Amino acid sequence: MTQLATPTQTRAWVTGVREATPLLGGYIPVALSFGLVATQAGFTTWEAAVISTLIYAGASQFLFVGMVAAGSPLWLVVAMTLLINVRHVVYGPNLASWLPTSRHWPWLMHGLTDQVFALALTRLPQLPEPQRFGWFVGASLLAWISWIVGTVVGAIAGEELTARWPLLGEIMPFALPALFLTMVAPRFTDKRWALALSVTITAALFLALTGWNNVAIPLAAACGALCFYMIKFQPARHTP
Amino acid sequence: MSTALWLAVMISALGTLLMRVVPFLWMQRRLDNDTGLNAMPQWLGILGPLMIAAVLGVSIVPVSPSVISWAATAIGLLVTLLVWWRLRSLGWPVAAGVAVYGMVQVGVALGG
Repeated sequence: MTQLATPTQTRAWVTGVREATPLLGGYIPVALSFGLVATQAGFTTWEAAVISTLIYAGASQFLFVGMVAAGSPLWLVVAMTLLINVRHVVYGPNLASWLPTSRHWPWLMHGLTDQVFALALTRLPQLPEPQRFGWFVGASLLAWISWIVGTVVGAIAGEELTARWPLLGEIMPFALPALFLTMVAPRFTDKRWALALSVTITAALFLALTGWNNVAIPLAAACGALCFYMIKFQPARHTP
Repeated sequence: MSTALWLAVMISALGTLLMRVVPFLWMQRRLDNDTGLNAMPQWLGILGPLMIAAVLGVSIVPVSPSVISWAATAIGLLVTLLVWWRLRSLGWPVAAGVAVYGMVQVGVALGG
């Protein structure tokens, strides 16, 4: 089915942009940092922007420029970059049932990052079907553009910005945990889900604190899934 | 950048795109051909919300971990949760949480 722009879809596009705005609080400081790190690693502003535009995956981009700057063999740089992003494999299938068929998906799926996935998985089921395509386009494009713009600004003026407003870089990223908390909270529907989600959050936090950021998301989710399948609660007894 | 480095960027970009798009299209085709939502494996439906919880866990760690930033994080998350409990929306809880987190950080910076 080819998507045509209708008033409903235009509004959906705007809704997507509006609802993805909190993501910018997390995206922009990280993109600024990436731009700064990339130029310090010897890449030009234009090259940093191209990397952000084409690869568009935070952790793997930092690893990419870091390994290149350290002189690692390029095959290893590519292998590690792809290995970090392998978690993205489960995002698409989770959204497939909520999104209409369209010939545009091969390029639109480029926007499916951790954050856009989390937002989409929460919001798409709540939207009427005709609005979902437009919503995804608006939300993912805003996130992508902010990432590229943030990279360019970081590459050009990152050092000066962070020196002038150091607290800005501390406060803005809090939009991400706050947003994810509002997405996870409604899923505490019963004891089984509450335990699995708590185990996942705790495991991810622990792994991130111990320096295992790159594997924290898939490993913590696997811990939570294991917990979900292994621990089953007795159904509550109802007295007549 | 050298030609080899450009090639590395292109392969990384293409590989990442394929990891995003191929499983999505595979599942959409499966949903079209089979029995709707029943075509989705149960483990996939469970893993989705758990991935979001994992992203939450990772993002909780403050940019510069310290007693103050951890306290600000705890207070900010509590306020976010309370506002969400009251309004059941996405925008206002996030705005309230960031505002309180920022106030704690700025308050400490001004006080210290």
